[in-house]
Amino acid sequence: MSESNSALLKSPESVVKFLDGVRDRIGTVVVGQDVVVERILIALLTSGHLLLEGVPGLAKTLLVSCLAKSISLQFARVQFTIDLLPSDILGSEILDQRTNEFRVNKGPIFTNLLLADEINRAAPKVQSALLEAMQERRVTLGRESFRLPSPFLVIATQNPVEQAGTFELPEAQLDRFMLRHRLQYPTPTEELEVLKRNMALGIRRDGPGAVARTEFDVMEDRPVGTIQDLVEAMEAAAAVHVSDTFLEHVVDAITRTRNHPDIELGASPRAGIALIKAAKARALIRGRAYVVPDDLYALAPDVILHRIRLNYEALADGKRAEDVLVEILHDLTRGKQAGKAREAVALAAESRA
Amino acid sequence: MPLGSTGRGAMLVFCLWMVGLAWAEEAPPRPPTVGIPRRLEGLVLPGTELEAIPSADRKAPVMVQVLRVYPHGSLFRYDIEYTGLEPGTHDLRKFLRRKDRSPLGDLPAVQVEILPVLPPGQVKPNELTIEKGPSLGGYWMLVTALGAGWVAVLVALIVSFFPGKKQGKRGEVVHPPSLAEKLRPLVEGAVRGDLSGSQLAGLERGLLAWWRKRLDLEKCDPSEALERLRRHPEAGPLLTQLESWLHKPGPAGVVDVQSLLEPYRNLPAGEMDTTGGAA
Ligand SMILES: Nc1ncnc2c1ncn2[C@@H]1O[C@H](COP(=O)(O)OP(=O)(O)O)[C@@H](O)[C@H]1O
Ligand SMILES: [Mg+2]
Repeated sequence: MSESNSALLKSPESVVKFLDGVRDRIGTVVVGQDVVVERILIALLTSGHLLLEGVPGLAKTLLVSCLAKSISLQFARVQFTIDLLPSDILGSEILDQRTNEFRVNKGPIFTNLLLADEINRAAPKVQSALLEAMQERRVTLGRESFRLPSPFLVIATQNPVEQAGTFELPEAQLDRFMLRHRLQYPTPTEELEVLKRNMALGIRRDGPGAVARTEFDVMEDRPVGTIQDLVEAMEAAAAVHVSDTFLEHVVDAITRTRNHPDIELGASPRAGIALIKAAKARALIRGRAYVVPDDLYALAPDVILHRIRLNYEALADGKRAEDVLVEILHDLTRGKQAGKAREAVALAAESRA
Repeated sequence: MPLGSTGRGAMLVFCLWMVGLAWAEEAPPRPPTVGIPRRLEGLVLPGTELEAIPSADRKAPVMVQVLRVYPHGSLFRYDIEYTGLEPGTHDLRKFLRRKDRSPLGDLPAVQVEILPVLPPGQVKPNELTIEKGPSLGGYWMLVTALGAGWVAVLVALIVSFFPGKKQGKRGEVVHPPSLAEKLRPLVEGAVRGDLSGSQLAGLERGLLAWWRKRLDLEKCDPSEALERLRRHPEAGPLLTQLESWLHKPGPAGVVDVQSLLEPYRNLPAGEMDTTGGAA
């Protein structure tokens, strides 16, 4: 506890200034989407990979590009397509004609921030190559194994699964993403602002011709922070205090996803770990030195929903995973068995008294 | 010599006839073959009058008819016609009975022989097997029975499906503890200060759930509901106090748990509905 306070006290102003700076910078280009910006910052602070899900045109790419420009990070973007090969991401060994020796050609994954755009358009082979590298943070090319740079963060975007021509990521691979966030449409006022800003962009002369300018053109290149700032913020996030009660909340929620009658596949231990990490980062972003139930309730959908699957009976009854999760979060007891066990213990204690 | 030749021819025919007659008288008549009727005339048999048993057997080897019966003193004389259907020696007594149904008694055997028309070793066709026809209305009875069985299973399924739910509902009305009831022991325990970590967590969730219900925020997104609770004049301070008690690092005891939880010690159970804290 004292340690956490001291770590936070070491440079609280600089950390808060850095985070606010990044947020403001994104805000100059992207209108609204506050929740998404917060999720991106959480991903950044925890190096937990983030999956953004939403229909095309919700500024997913714009957001991540903007983040990359606001911190002096190495940034790479891969547009996933059906004909992409694993080596297009990871790299490959090539034969150097002059020296007659194999030379390693590192792929775009060797970067700090990788934007895997429209990840569900690539073949499953490519998806799993990326997800494996994400998990292990190292890549094997030829006979050599290479560590990925640190920090290393993947932000993937995908269209909702209902869209044609996509390969849905299976739960086992979705589990590798710390958070999956579903983007919402902007509110009418935000939409109005988007239109106004876009109209103000005008035309850019380009040699003898001209093109309409986009938000991508007006992003400021000067970063608001360095990797050093980011590392300090990551340390501060790791030092945020987590109470025993909060841990109990998390364990209760995770356990209940496994015992719930409507759920076929419950959350993995990774979900609990992700929940704690993300809650710490959220607390820091909100200027708190400790986590509170708010963090749990706000993050649980993004952490848990992509790791659970309802069973057919529940789906046939028209239940939605979101509603089942809300029910789980407000239950008082820890799962069925645990609840019964506790009752039995209480009864035994009463009879002894 | 036409006269002489005619006389010789007549002589030859006459001789042949005589020979034939003599042979016929000496040798017994040839037994009939299968299917050819033969008469026994003037057969005198002892005992009361006999008659042929009406044939009900499709496979009887001989068919017997009593053509005429004459009284013959105290006995009777019979003209009997029989037609053999199977080659071999048969006893006609088997096909006769007394008119007064008295036993045949010492009736002598009436053996007849039937000759085959087929050469020996003739391959016989397979026996015809006569199968039993379907019982009357078999198909419809089957269909009706199957239909009835199906309906019975369906009804059983429906019945077994619904009463469970009904029972559950009936049980819920009486049994599962309401949110207030679930909260009470937790609040009491917290006031006494002997709650385990997970019970403390349950208490916090319970209080949040109670306020969510009270302010009718259950349809709301949970984090949005929490925001609204924070702005509520009564719930807001509770949340802040709970946070500094349960989550804030540093010395405990800053929060007066007793007075914090005092309003929740005797929550009326009936005020809220029963499904508190989910199932
Ligand atoms: N919230 C927003 N703020 C600013 N521009 C937006 C917003 N939503 C949509 N846009 C506009 O729509 C475009 C969406 O582009 P893009 O980022 O490629 O979307 P996506 O990657 O989600 O398909 C942006 O370039 C911008 O012009
Ligand atoms: Mg895009």
